[in-house]
Amino acid sequence: MHECCSARLLCLGNDLLADDAFGYVAAEELRQRMPYDVEVVFTANTGIGLIDHLGQATLLVVIDTVVTGSADPGTVHVLDEGDLSSVPGGSPHYIGLFETLALGRKLEMAMPDRLVIVAVEASDNMTLGGEMHPAVRAALPVVLERVTELVSARRKIPCA
Amino acid sequence: MSKVKVASNRITIDPITRLEGHGKIEIFLNDQGKVDRAFFQVPELRGFEQFTRGRPAEDMPQITSRICGVCPTAHHMASAKTLDDLYKVDPPPTAKKIRELVYSTFMVEDHALHFYFLGGPDFVVGPSAPAAERNVLGVIGKVGVEVGKKVIAMRRRLRDVISSIGGKVVHPVLGLPGGVAKRVTPEMQANCQEVATDAIAFATFTLQVFNDIVLANKDYVNLIVSDAFTHKTYYMGQMDANNHPNFYDGSIRVVSPEGQEVANFAAQDYLEHVAEHVEPWSYTKFCFLKSVGWKGFTDGPESGIYSVAPLARLNAADGMATPLAQKAYEQMYETLGGKPAHHTLANHWARVIELLYAAERMKELADDPELTDPNIRTLPTETPREGVGIVEAPRGTLFHHYVTDDRGVIEKANLIVATQNNSARIAMSVEKAAKGLVTRDKVSDGLLNMVEMAFRAYDPCHACATHSLPGSMPLLVSVRDKDGKPLHTLRRDFDGTVHHA
Repeated sequence: MHECCSARLLCLGNDLLADDAFGYVAAEELRQRMPYDVEVVFTANTGIGLIDHLGQATLLVVIDTVVTGSADPGTVHVLDEGDLSSVPGGSPHYIGLFETLALGRKLEMAMPDRLVIVAVEASDNMTLGGEMHPAVRAALPVVLERVTELVSARRKIPCA
Repeated sequence: MSKVKVASNRITIDPITRLEGHGKIEIFLNDQGKVDRAFFQVPELRGFEQFTRGRPAEDMPQITSRICGVCPTAHHMASAKTLDDLYKVDPPPTAKKIRELVYSTFMVEDHALHFYFLGGPDFVVGPSAPAAERNVLGVIGKVGVEVGKKVIAMRRRLRDVISSIGGKVVHPVLGLPGGVAKRVTPEMQANCQEVATDAIAFATFTLQVFNDIVLANKDYVNLIVSDAFTHKTYYMGQMDANNHPNFYDGSIRVVSPEGQEVANFAAQDYLEHVAEHVEPWSYTKFCFLKSVGWKGFTDGPESGIYSVAPLARLNAADGMATPLAQKAYEQMYETLGGKPAHHTLANHWARVIELLYAAERMKELADDPELTDPNIRTLPTETPREGVGIVEAPRGTLFHHYVTDDRGVIEKANLIVATQNNSARIAMSVEKAAKGLVTRDKVSDGLLNMVEMAFRAYDPCHACATHSLPGSMPLLVSVRDKDGKPLHTLRRDFDGTVHHA
């Protein structure tokens, strides 16, 4: 089990898959910059596997890429958990982050007080060994800035 | 937000990418505006051949397990076995047992998670439940919070076993050509025995949940055996010497739609039996049996389409290797009216039976006194050239095939993943659902549910089914006439609400 910490930055992705490497690159940078009480985690884990990384943090920031198709590559989306419908309907396969979070709460596990998603619009997450799109790479400073703001502004609530 | 591509007489259902997996359903209309053909397409990773070429073959268990966050252990084991074959080296018995123990533990975890959290919305909550309840919380609502906690706790312990023996749970580092990297200590063995005993109790309990919730409901059983979810195809699975399914090793057995054995081959001979059909409109390759041939998207003994995954494995087998699983196996075929069972939705049942088998097998291996033997590696001495390795992934037969130069550097690598083996049959399932529900000017709400149920039973692997953003699969079904004129649009949002336009 993770030790209690006030903030965790959960970077998701796969460093072998073109733009999907963004989470990995962001984690490397964030480790250099974050204060000692902020935990930085990178994982290629998915779905319910994420439950291992959700608990025991007051603030959880998830850094990831996404393909919405409605924005240019490199666009940074910042979403609070409250911005999205909390419990989605039936899913074709795998349960996602929000369902995992809802599951954790339902099962009375310690889940974060606040969840923020910082996601970069990707152009290609499917090419093994592919290069990261320049616009996605260029979004890194923006993401670092947003994450730093979030961490600085976090509420100082001790973990349960 | 979904991407929709429309050709003149083609409907594409393209769930937004990278949220929950990215399956795409394409429906083609004929001149009369009725469904001519429908296909389910799975996105495939690009660049695998190019990426692996020039790399040392020993890196493949790590590379292939890192491709996918869903079943890394299956790729890792298939790859380790391929290296054994490449270097013509036979691992010591203890090394094989350690590998199979890790693999059985992984199968228990994966099957349990599928039953409760992925397939659960269909059968535990029920196909006719309101959309808002057909999710993981609905499952917990039905089975209870304590059961949910039990599943999560079991998962944690299973993963601890995999970590302690396999090195890492997400991307194991255990398998080496000719054996494994680390021996099992008596303390590790004792822990495995304890977890395996509890895993059997957990699997037995899960079978009871299936009996109480699914089988006790006549409507569910009727749905399982309904024609809409039935295809008479060939079935494939890896078997031990007694023709009982074995996830880790054995020979590949294929039975006909009537249940007769038509092939039983070693991994190295797979290309003599399996071929891939390509359609000009799709990047998906459709596997079929060479000896029968490709006859289009049709079932029956004349068509070479086959399927893999839990039901196919049980159909291809003569029984189960462990006592509790054997009993459950007999009960299933008795209820379904004989073997093979052609009902796609029975995959959920077969999965629970396999969960029980995996737990029993885990215990057998954990109890084996040879497990702690220090001889865990046979060092390769042969010059490498070509190797094939097969395991049964949770989702079905997984083939790895590498060709190297004499230094063991990859020249060519080919994978056939479970979902590729199933792709033709999945396409037929989707087509059947679509034909029943879609016409020129109307797309039924039920289409989405029926289509999803049809492909979810196979537990298809979406290569990019990665993490994070909202859970549901937004779908957009756009029906157009053959000239491309929009006739009807149906959109389902993240929260499950359906809008017509």
